[in-house]
Amino acid sequence: MKVELDKITVDKVSFSYRSDDTDGNAGMKKALNSVSAEIERGSYVAILGPNGSGKSTLAKIIDILELPDEGRVVIFGKDAGEDENFWDIRKKCACVFQNPDNQIVGTIVEEDTAFGPENLGVPNPELRHRVEEALKDVGIYELREREAASLSGGQKQKLAIAGALAMHPDVLILDEATAMLDPVSRDEFLEIVERQRKEKSLTIITITHDMTEAIRCEKIYVINKGEIAISGSPQEVFSSGRVGSCGLKQPENYALCYQIARICGEEILPADLASDDTLLECVMRMVPRMVSSFVPAEDSAVTDLSGEVILSIKHLSCSYDGGQNKAIDDVNLDVYRGEVFGIVGRSGCGKTTLVSHLNAILAPQSGEIIIHGKDGILSAGERKDKAKIRRTVGLVFQYPEYQLFEETVYKDISYGLRNLKIPETERRAKVEAAAGLMGIDAEILGKSPFELSGGQKRRVAMAGVLVMEPEILVLDEPASGLDPKGRDEMFRLIAKLRDNGTTVILVSHNMDEAAQNCDRICAIKDGRVQVVAAPAELFADRGKAESMGLDIPKLTQFSNRVKEKLGREIANVNFSEPAFESASEAARIVLAVKKAVKGNA
Amino acid sequence: MLNDISIGRYYRKDSILHGTDPRVKAILYIVYLVAIFIIRTPVALAVLTAVTLLQAVMAKITPRIMWLTVKPVLPIAMFILLINIFTIRQGNPVFTWRIIRITDYGAMRAVLTALRLVFLIISTSILLTLTTTPLKISDALESIFAPLKAIHIPVHEMAMMMSIALRFIPTLVSETDKIMKAQISRGADYDTGSFVSRVRGYITVLIPLFVSSFKRAEELAVAMDARCYHGGDGRTKLNPLKITSRDVLIGLFYGILAIGLVVTDLSLR
Repeated sequence: MKVELDKITVDKVSFSYRSDDTDGNAGMKKALNSVSAEIERGSYVAILGPNGSGKSTLAKIIDILELPDEGRVVIFGKDAGEDENFWDIRKKCACVFQNPDNQIVGTIVEEDTAFGPENLGVPNPELRHRVEEALKDVGIYELREREAASLSGGQKQKLAIAGALAMHPDVLILDEATAMLDPVSRDEFLEIVERQRKEKSLTIITITHDMTEAIRCEKIYVINKGEIAISGSPQEVFSSGRVGSCGLKQPENYALCYQIARICGEEILPADLASDDTLLECVMRMVPRMVSSFVPAEDSAVTDLSGEVILSIKHLSCSYDGGQNKAIDDVNLDVYRGEVFGIVGRSGCGKTTLVSHLNAILAPQSGEIIIHGKDGILSAGERKDKAKIRRTVGLVFQYPEYQLFEETVYKDISYGLRNLKIPETERRAKVEAAAGLMGIDAEILGKSPFELSGGQKRRVAMAGVLVMEPEILVLDEPASGLDPKGRDEMFRLIAKLRDNGTTVILVSHNMDEAAQNCDRICAIKDGRVQVVAAPAELFADRGKAESMGLDIPKLTQFSNRVKEKLGREIANVNFSEPAFESASEAARIVLAVKKAVKGNA
Repeated sequence: MLNDISIGRYYRKDSILHGTDPRVKAILYIVYLVAIFIIRTPVALAVLTAVTLLQAVMAKITPRIMWLTVKPVLPIAMFILLINIFTIRQGNPVFTWRIIRITDYGAMRAVLTALRLVFLIISTSILLTLTTTPLKISDALESIFAPLKAIHIPVHEMAMMMSIALRFIPTLVSETDKIMKAQISRGADYDTGSFVSRVRGYITVLIPLFVSSFKRAEELAVAMDARCYHGGDGRTKLNPLKITSRDVLIGLFYGILAIGLVVTDLSLR
């Protein structure tokens, strides 16, 4: 092989890890199978793939955190297999991992930033200079003497990237580094990455589930089942048609165009995907075909909210420091029986505080919560109602899979029933029903929960709450950390729960997700309710949504541009209210164009 | 629920004691530990209180923080006080009722023992945890015990382990809180029921806590590897420890106070 000084070359790399089967027999599992890739110096590369596809392993092999069984990795002319290059390569490649809490070593911000260069033996005053420069680069210099534990999630991840930058790397590897951040922190983080890349000509390798993050890159490798399934520019990858089979999703702007093209029977070329502008051109090109196309009738699944209030919050306020700062401030909400009610806001806006009140983990400091359940009218402030409220309102916290503890899945799911002193004879049927609802196979019930995959664990944890047959189910970020396929499954489950008559309260920082899956949305900012409305109503008037400072779903953002352009070109076009799923939004757009053109003629 | 625990927390301030070399503070800490256990006369106790208050002022620690630090140990101090008061039988009785007999000596000893515990916590906090970041404490220990490296004791590694343990206290406290809340919402009850069932309740909290700690440890190890950690050899320090004349002065000042304290006590017995 030729030595390339300006490339990272991964050549036929295979990697297996030890994985014992359930009977304790030693076995090997292949994570990577003869993977090859070439990454140019200074390029921005994304590695995509479903959970467990081996993409993190590849990143670790590049930084020699794992050694491949077979194959060769050469980084800027240095062979990673040679012992003498080991520290050189580690020095050149810096990593930022997913969980900010598990990569901070120092207690104080600047101490942590210094950890890497200290290990490299960088002497003072250069060391101090590097630390200060790195903290300024990511914009947290003024926090340098703060305790790392007191930072927000977004700030902690900035600290992690500062720690990486202080080592003056050539390559920055981001291993799902934005997965735990809310959309605003995520954008800030990605901006830092892009700016640093330009200023310091860094090579960026990012592993992500976020498709809008992936289209910022120059090249994408899609890994599925340990092999490279697709590679190429984002345009090439997302137009290849095999994206879905690898458990990925198209970014919303691409998806809308594809759906319109599907209705019109048109082709989309990779060149059309270059930017939003080329996408718009592509939509305009299809206008003549829209007129003659057949638009399938939408099943008018208008939710009939009978208006029966199941949960009512009145003037609820809560403060953690005796009234100076309010975590939530005068919240008034009515939740109707049978709806999916979304509570949306940034991290730290008070969402979790609010929902902790709903099943009486926090007692109202002022205001009240009334629940109209089967057990009659319950008030969250009353001590005697506490037990009944916990049975009526089930609460699933974020990352519930970290809270499993029993020897078997069955025991874990039935934990709540045992607390309620429900006899064993009745328990089995209930556990099996809850497991069935969450799509958990009966054979898994006898296994240890710690043997399961992440997605399965989460479903077991949710079944443990569902088994108590709550009338209201509160889900705090149920889809966080899941890959696109896992997310889709999760929301299908939620729809199923709703169809079974459970009232679902969905807490999320992601407006796209909420708009797509909720009947009504409550936007929260700084502990106050900004607005409560159906998503279509919320985003029908673009100016209004923007002036309120709401996050606008990505699909709606792009769709609004499409509609604006169509509105300029075609007289009398009237768009119906927005849909939040690309297929139905596309159908509505095509239908509106069709009507307008026919009317004009 | 558990958020007000402040043992082991660093309290950021710009004070004389915060700026003092952690080795000086560590040695002073041991000196005061010894002094606290030697003294037993009321006069010496009063002097100790005064010295402790002086330290708190020099560390700019507010009464509220002081209270939060002492609060968790008060039940234990109370328990020790009561046990001592009712069990020590020497001395002149000042109060008798049926089998209860409280003596002047017993009361003295009880108060003294309880106060010792309180002073122990306050000294630990003021001289170490509140005013010194965990990394500096471990730097200090590494430096003080450096000679032991000659007999192959892994001083650096032990210091590193300690500082990581301290760094993760707040993280694990908030995690415990989360797990407890999740289990409470599934009908768990930690406050009522028999002793056995309560202990069992805590076990259900500890298991997920352990599991996630192992996961954290694994991820942290990879992250430290990625940041080129390879033990103490050839490491530099952002804030290297340096003893200044001010550190020497503070060390001497409090050292002499401690000796004075012990001498006063011994002479008054």
